[in-house]
Amino acid sequence: MSKFAWVTLTTNDTYSLGALVLAHSLRRAGTVHQLAVLVTPGVSESMREKLKDVYNVVQEVNIMDSQDAANLALLSRPELGITFTKLHCWRLVQFEKCVFLDSDTLVLQNCDELFEREEFSAAPDVSWPDCFNSGVFVFQPSQTTYDKIVEFALKNGSFDGGDQGLLNQYFADWATSDIKKRLPFLYNVTAYASYCYLPAFKQFRDKIKILHFAGKMKPWLMHYNSQSKVASVPSDYSHANDLIQMWWNIFFDHVHAQLNTNMAGLAGALSQLRLGEPRTPEQEAYEHLMRRQCWESGQVDYMGRDSFDNIWKRITQTLENKPADDDKTGGSSAATSTIHNVNNAHGFSTPAHMH
Amino acid sequence: MFRRQLSFRLEDSDHDAYGLRMNRRYSRVESGGDLKDYFDRGDIASRENRWTFEIAWEVANKVGGIYTVIRSKAYVSTEEMGEQLCLMGPYKEHCARTEMEEIEFPRGNPLLDAVNSLRSRGYKIHTGRWLVDGNPQLILFDIGSGAWKLDQFKSELWDKCHIGVPHLDVESNDAIILGFMIAEYLEEFRRCASEYSQANDLQVPRIVAHFHEWQAGVGLIALRTRHVEIATVFTTHATLLGRYLCAGNTDFYNNLDKFAVDEEAGKRQIYHRYCLERAATHLSHVFTTVSEITGYEAEHLLKRKPDIITPNGLNVKKFSAIHEFQNLHAMAKEKINEFVRGHFYGHMDFDLDKTLYFFIAGRYEFGNKGADIFIESLARLNAMLKQEKPDTTVVAFLIFPTKTNNFNVDSLRGHAVVKQLRDTINGVQQGIGKRLFDSCLKGHIPGPDELLTKDDLVKIKRCMYALQRDSMPPVTTHNIVDDWNDPVLGAIRRCQLFNTVHDRVKMVFHPEFLTSTNPLFGIDYEEFVRGCHLGVFPSYYEPWGYTPAECTVMGIPSITTNLSGFGCFMEEHISDPKSYGIYIVDRRYIGLENSIQQLASYMMDFSRLNRRQRIIQRNRTERLSDLLDWRTLGIYYRQSRVKALQAVYPDYVDESSLYSSRSNLNFSRPFSEPPSPSSSRHTTPAPSVHGSDEEDSVDEETELKELGIK
Repeated sequence: MSKFAWVTLTTNDTYSLGALVLAHSLRRAGTVHQLAVLVTPGVSESMREKLKDVYNVVQEVNIMDSQDAANLALLSRPELGITFTKLHCWRLVQFEKCVFLDSDTLVLQNCDELFEREEFSAAPDVSWPDCFNSGVFVFQPSQTTYDKIVEFALKNGSFDGGDQGLLNQYFADWATSDIKKRLPFLYNVTAYASYCYLPAFKQFRDKIKILHFAGKMKPWLMHYNSQSKVASVPSDYSHANDLIQMWWNIFFDHVHAQLNTNMAGLAGALSQLRLGEPRTPEQEAYEHLMRRQCWESGQVDYMGRDSFDNIWKRITQTLENKPADDDKTGGSSAATSTIHNVNNAHGFSTPAHMH
Repeated sequence: MFRRQLSFRLEDSDHDAYGLRMNRRYSRVESGGDLKDYFDRGDIASRENRWTFEIAWEVANKVGGIYTVIRSKAYVSTEEMGEQLCLMGPYKEHCARTEMEEIEFPRGNPLLDAVNSLRSRGYKIHTGRWLVDGNPQLILFDIGSGAWKLDQFKSELWDKCHIGVPHLDVESNDAIILGFMIAEYLEEFRRCASEYSQANDLQVPRIVAHFHEWQAGVGLIALRTRHVEIATVFTTHATLLGRYLCAGNTDFYNNLDKFAVDEEAGKRQIYHRYCLERAATHLSHVFTTVSEITGYEAEHLLKRKPDIITPNGLNVKKFSAIHEFQNLHAMAKEKINEFVRGHFYGHMDFDLDKTLYFFIAGRYEFGNKGADIFIESLARLNAMLKQEKPDTTVVAFLIFPTKTNNFNVDSLRGHAVVKQLRDTINGVQQGIGKRLFDSCLKGHIPGPDELLTKDDLVKIKRCMYALQRDSMPPVTTHNIVDDWNDPVLGAIRRCQLFNTVHDRVKMVFHPEFLTSTNPLFGIDYEEFVRGCHLGVFPSYYEPWGYTPAECTVMGIPSITTNLSGFGCFMEEHISDPKSYGIYIVDRRYIGLENSIQQLASYMMDFSRLNRRQRIIQRNRTERLSDLLDWRTLGIYYRQSRVKALQAVYPDYVDESSLYSSRSNLNFSRPFSEPPSPSSSRHTTPAPSVHGSDEEDSVDEETELKELGIK
């Protein structure tokens, strides 16, 4: 078996959707290497089961459990804890070399050649090309390196509060030392339009190897019509429309059937969707949830369906629907129960380490 | 001769018949819509089983302007409703610890039953009394204790209204928790009160809840969407979007009807707050704003016209001596004189008795507060004074707190050298006195040389040389951070108001709040206002405007605009505000240049008044304080509550108004008939409006004549 592995990380069931699609995209691209995923306690048991189906290794990371000195030191700086979840990938010492991929990436072509690179190879960040983006990087697992980075972090912190700042400080000579460690941008293309050089995107789109949905908008947050199986992509992602559609296609071909209602967050809601069928209360509940999710991440469609006129329509509905004739049946109460389910798991908080 | 006699009579009547006259003047108010008539400490309310709740984020929580509103109103509200009133807000430990006396409600009171019921649900609730005038009952909710239900509250809000709230907006999330806790409390209270009333054979309880601003508005939304039968009133003191738009230098009022409100709110990332505000506005039974102008703003930005205007009042303190405020003015003015002597040392070529103190104060919003047109108009006033009244000097104070690096050396030095001169002269004076006494004791009258020794002269000369300066008196008292970009200093530079000897308008920018520990002034804001002659507040955006109102109750004339709530209110209630020392600049219907000219001419008009005229004007201004007292203005809050109650309980009859046989509840203009001459009198001195009341009319006439308003 290969001593090389692709490694990703997920902190809750919603991000696990990304991890599942990522794994399938790697398999589709025909990789010969192993797949490993780091999970935090926020990932539900049934989701871990499903992750085990596609990943060779599902490794729980939990700083609270471990006993070594570096971790104990970390406990005194809880704010750094979340930043460091990603660093645990260096402890996967059963592998000789690994490539880390954020769970919001999508592999479009076989990239096994990345394992020919040395530690520490990464692609430049679009907004500051002298820094690398920590969404995709080649590294060599080693407990010593891990300890060193943690020690470094405790001393210096991270300039952006996240892992990207920390790693850029630690591997400070990345931009200047060895050109081989500078991966082509094609291995980590940011999909967001305002960061994107659109004519270049058009010119080189067939050569893109890994697409990275950095930023707040994730493919799983985009609106998807279960009846027509078409994702409606926000205008600043329209150039990547077909790639986002590809994400959803993989999702529905390989992932959707695996989901079940025991999963938290969006995963639980998505599991109730039926594809290619007329709209059901479940579909509506899901859309409902998506809209609320958008509001809560600050993305409101105030010019369209979230206009105040529509809000007022809803309020009028509520006012007319007196409690006396509300006997807990019908679609609306079903939707309510779904939502309550989801909330308890805090499925939507965006972990700081995702870039 | 005639004039003297008249003035004698004026003084006379001022002293003897003052109380009587006041009664006559406000007789209409007293019989019609004065809140004082309802002061029974909740007697009628308790007989009617009527309960009132007032909810605001600022209850016992000093974070903004609304705190002043709620706090100053507490006295009249408790006088009116006593134990049937309860204020509610968030529990903020650092404030509550000093402002609240924690007491449990008495047993058997439905207020207590509801509190206990909510406590059993795991919420932490503090009850007691607010330590302010009136000592009203208080329920404060610990937001942390309800945080675990945030997701549930948000789901409910989402489900019922389709309004979501971003995770990152802590303030909004807190408002959601508080709002839903309050809604749960009121729901529970309604149940307890109904049970209690049934058990004790009382009428059905009638409950009205008054919510202030969008934060509290969440509670209103929750209450209404849970179908709780409680009458609701919602008051906005300024719309969210209005504040944001005005902060961004938009041509606000000219475009008010053209804004795409959803889009503007969305662009500014306040869409969810705006939706909460607008939903609360439309869900309330009665919607009120603090002024006409904010009502106009609400009509276009929130799409609902206010049902009632509820202006902000003050808790006016009455002095037992009638002209006490005039004495206070004189005393405070002396302290400002002291400052001016120090600040303008070496340039004290102007006569302090012919110096007028103008001031502007407030939050440092250069455009919204009208500092821009104030400085521009001062430049014109400067030119006019040079030409027309070169012996008069105007010192303009601008009190706008901003970032500074402490006082500048020059202004501190001035005060030091002036003090030195005073100390030296005091010493010399004592020496002279002693020598004079000794010499006279010997039976010899000393000559001038014997009294003032050469030594003394040398000392005095040294002090006087220290008073010389090459530089001009500074236009600001502090070193302002980034002073090159400071808008006030920029405007002063552009208008070249550099305090030269020739300038008749002197500028003093004091970029800090006034406190009695201030080494330059050593007086607090209130005393400072009392010492000034004229407050100038030419605001562009000012939903109410407490600053000119405070001036008025202290008897200090002020300039305001018809874009400020205060200005609108005065314009509506007094037929000739100018004769009462309320100058209102038109910033709404005429161009900017015309507004500036008008402001400059008002300031010039004021500068033309002589000392006597100013005293009369201050008397007249001070008389308006009754109009701004909560005892008068509280009536509008009462009206809005009655209206809301009638919307929810159609059978509700406002008994207390029947008692006093008052039919006109919508008494909206206590001063609709002018106590001052109406406009027709500008040309013809007509007989008094009070007809039979000869003395009063003569008095009014004289005053106006003396003011030069005919």
